[in-house]
Amino acid sequence: MTVAPPDTSTKYDLDFAKWVYENIEGGDKLALCMQCGVCSGSCPIGVQMDYGPRKLFMMIRAGMKEEVMTSSTQWNCTSCYRCVVRCPRSVPVTYILQDLAAKSAELGYAQKTNENVNFARSFWWSAKTFGRTDERLVTALYYFSFGLKEGYQRGLANLKIALNFVKRGRMHIGLPHRIKGRRQLKAILAKAEEIAKREGLH
Amino acid sequence: MSEKKPAVYLCKGCGIGEAVDVDALETVAKSEFKIGRCLQHAALCSDDGLATIRNDVESGSVNRMVIAACSHRVMTDKFQFGAAPVVRAGLREQVAWSQPAKAEDTQMLAADQIRMGVTQLSRTETPAPSVVQEFSRTVMVVGGGITGLTAAREAAKAGYPVLLVEKTDRLGGWAAKWSARMPHRPPYRDVQPNDVGKLVTAVQADKQITVKTNTLITRTAGQPGAFAVTLSQGGQETTERVGAIVVATGWRPYDASKLGHLGHGSSPDVVTGIELEAMLKAGTLTRKSNGAPVERIAFVQCAGSRDPDHLPYCSSVCCGVSIKQALQVVTRSPKASAYIVYEELRTPGTAEEFYRQAQKAGVIFMKGKAGKVDGGRMTVTYQDELLGMDVPLGPLDMIVLATGMVPNSTNPDAPAVEPEKGEAQLKDDINPVAPIKVAGYLSGEGKAWPHIDKGVPPGGPILNLQYRQGPHIPILADGFSDSHYICFPYETRRSGIYTAGPVRRPMDMAESAEDAMGAVLKAIQAIEGSKMGSSLHPRVGDLSFPKIGHDKCTKCRRCTVECPFGAIDEDEQGRPVINPSRCRRCGTCMGACPVQTITFDNYNPQMVNAMIEANEIPDEFSEKPRILVLACENDAYPAIDMAGINRHQWSPFVRIIPVRCLGSVTMQWISTALQKGYDGIMLMGCKSGDDYQCHFVKGSGIAKERMSKVGETLKSLMLEKERVTMEEVSIADSHRVPEVVNKFAELIGAMDPNPMKGF
Repeated sequence: MTVAPPDTSTKYDLDFAKWVYENIEGGDKLALCMQCGVCSGSCPIGVQMDYGPRKLFMMIRAGMKEEVMTSSTQWNCTSCYRCVVRCPRSVPVTYILQDLAAKSAELGYAQKTNENVNFARSFWWSAKTFGRTDERLVTALYYFSFGLKEGYQRGLANLKIALNFVKRGRMHIGLPHRIKGRRQLKAILAKAEEIAKREGLH
Repeated sequence: MSEKKPAVYLCKGCGIGEAVDVDALETVAKSEFKIGRCLQHAALCSDDGLATIRNDVESGSVNRMVIAACSHRVMTDKFQFGAAPVVRAGLREQVAWSQPAKAEDTQMLAADQIRMGVTQLSRTETPAPSVVQEFSRTVMVVGGGITGLTAAREAAKAGYPVLLVEKTDRLGGWAAKWSARMPHRPPYRDVQPNDVGKLVTAVQADKQITVKTNTLITRTAGQPGAFAVTLSQGGQETTERVGAIVVATGWRPYDASKLGHLGHGSSPDVVTGIELEAMLKAGTLTRKSNGAPVERIAFVQCAGSRDPDHLPYCSSVCCGVSIKQALQVVTRSPKASAYIVYEELRTPGTAEEFYRQAQKAGVIFMKGKAGKVDGGRMTVTYQDELLGMDVPLGPLDMIVLATGMVPNSTNPDAPAVEPEKGEAQLKDDINPVAPIKVAGYLSGEGKAWPHIDKGVPPGGPILNLQYRQGPHIPILADGFSDSHYICFPYETRRSGIYTAGPVRRPMDMAESAEDAMGAVLKAIQAIEGSKMGSSLHPRVGDLSFPKIGHDKCTKCRRCTVECPFGAIDEDEQGRPVINPSRCRRCGTCMGACPVQTITFDNYNPQMVNAMIEANEIPDEFSEKPRILVLACENDAYPAIDMAGINRHQWSPFVRIIPVRCLGSVTMQWISTALQKGYDGIMLMGCKSGDDYQCHFVKGSGIAKERMSKVGETLKSLMLEKERVTMEEVSIADSHRVPEVVNKFAELIGAMDPNPMKGF
């Protein structure tokens, strides 16, 4: 029997699977995954992920914490829910990926490798401030999150597209649009925060 | 018997009347065989037809008859008239339904069917049964585990006295050592309490059951209905008479000390499933090395199973057992995590529910082959098939090796009786052609069977049978007792002795209990059958039995060696002695006998010989070849009938004679057929080998070996060796039968006619 010694640069954490089962939303259902691969096969942007959901879930069981938490899989998920609809064991794949993304950002894994984190942060700032997204501000915030120099470079590279947008009325000039009941939105978000704290979701 | 008063009844129903000239058939019977009473009827099976025959029998004018109508396999209950022998000449399936109507060849075939029928009738008698003396109704059950206990209880419930023999000092077997059971009741999800204690109490309280612990069986002689069993309880020997035996000797765990490559012995915390079970039962699940609680545990499946260097087979229960143990571990402590490293998880049927339950509870399943188990660092490195890489699991608190089951087809604690002979017998018994070698008329070695050497579990015989063929119950492959898993599961090659539970194949407690019930029913059948002198499976109800003409016997011993069921012993002078209730009536002894002196009342070499000779063989210029088909009654003959029922057509030159088993075919029939002028001979029987379908286990294998020698004889007669052939036909092959027959008929048609025609 020949078993090559596993890659020693990879850390295997035997308790990681249990941690995921207990701390990630829908993680308890992950235990039922039978590795059929329907999720990965159904994923429209599977090719844009480091690992498909099936493989990612097996890596969780194998305790490959670093690889899982820094993977692009959870960030590139578009929440189309195709995997959730098709999963024969009713594993809420999308929820699990979303919460894996949140946890990996929270625990500091994501920043190291993934620019989608920066985009998500910009997006969320706009959403909670105006109650909706303002493409200009989200894009600007995202670009400059990489530093002043890179922000300018990225902005200039896309300038032509932006001007075309304005010309065709796809992007407005002036103050950002806001929703009407921003006060209520704040209250809703505060309540959600409270529930999350109470339920121990953070 | 008084004067023979034969009759021939010809049926014209079911299309027979339209297909053949029945008047001409009547003439055959009347002029060629001088049968006085011949009668044609539009439908013999009608009330009127049956009443006519019954009147003839009751008036005393007829006391034996040929019914020329449908196959002998149908309407058997209708065409039965007291003790009068009835022979059925098939005009329906094999003539009217499978040949063109009113053709010359069809008419010739029908006439030959009448000739064979009348000839058979002249050589058949209603068998007088051989009933055993000193008959006993007691069922002996060997082994006091879950299988034995269930068997004892079920037999007692059915009203039969039971003698339960257990080797150790207490009942319960392995089952009593388990902390809990796998689910065996709906909803099949949760670990269930071990209830074997209740069964032990019930058995002990049952007045019908005599329990003997600390008891070994030193001798088993006799035959079904009258076995004489010598028991030794602490050196004290007693002899008991029992009617049938259920062997429920169970299993032993595979020797884990041979699993050094899986880390056994490298750390006290690398344990077997059996050791873990003891800890779970005691309620102290701690590390053996330092007494710390066990929180991270990994199970290594297929430890020494499905491995050509160890047990080549799957024990089927280890997956379920590991799931159960993992569930027990994770439910004991919320901090615990359990990993199961498996190659293929085998959770058939309702066990799938159990598997899902374990997944829900957080047991983690890792698919891959365990490569290295490091007892020092307590890691299991395995090749993960779903990730495509090697993964180390660790550090763990405990590593459990899920070892497989070895059947107790021998007693591991008893010294082998005549060790060399016992072992050789077991090995030979796996190989169906071995007895031919023993009988000494087969030159060269039989085919080698690859797993013979590894399949024999060490130890002495369980029953120590006082049989000519040795003390063991024969095994088939991998050391398990011979049984046909699908068609006749409990049957062994020793009549009246039935195996149940893991000695037959690996199984869990629920399956064992179910198995025990099946075996008990067979045991009861054996007892009741021997009381009437009736055969057991597959010729249930057959009252005939082989008789040996000692004046002609040459003591060649072929019958005693070749009998697939060890039914024939030898006396001091080396003469064969038949034990009728051990016999299954296959006639393999009859086929073996070189002087044709073994006969049944209603089936014997002379009878078939005469049937072969009775047929009319057209001369060599007629271009009507004749092909003799000797078809096994169990599979081939029904397949031919079914081909007829489906209106398949085949060569009209074929003459089919049913035989009890290809093992009963004597070489004399072949030579008679060739001398008579048949152009080709085909034997149709069941598949032989370790995946045999032969209802008499070795019959078709033995026939195959015998036939392999025919080629040389044909050559010496200046005949082509292709003239004699053998085909394996299963009961589901009815669509293939015409094809097989026609191909052979074409081959024979292309050859010159048999030069011996007309001599």
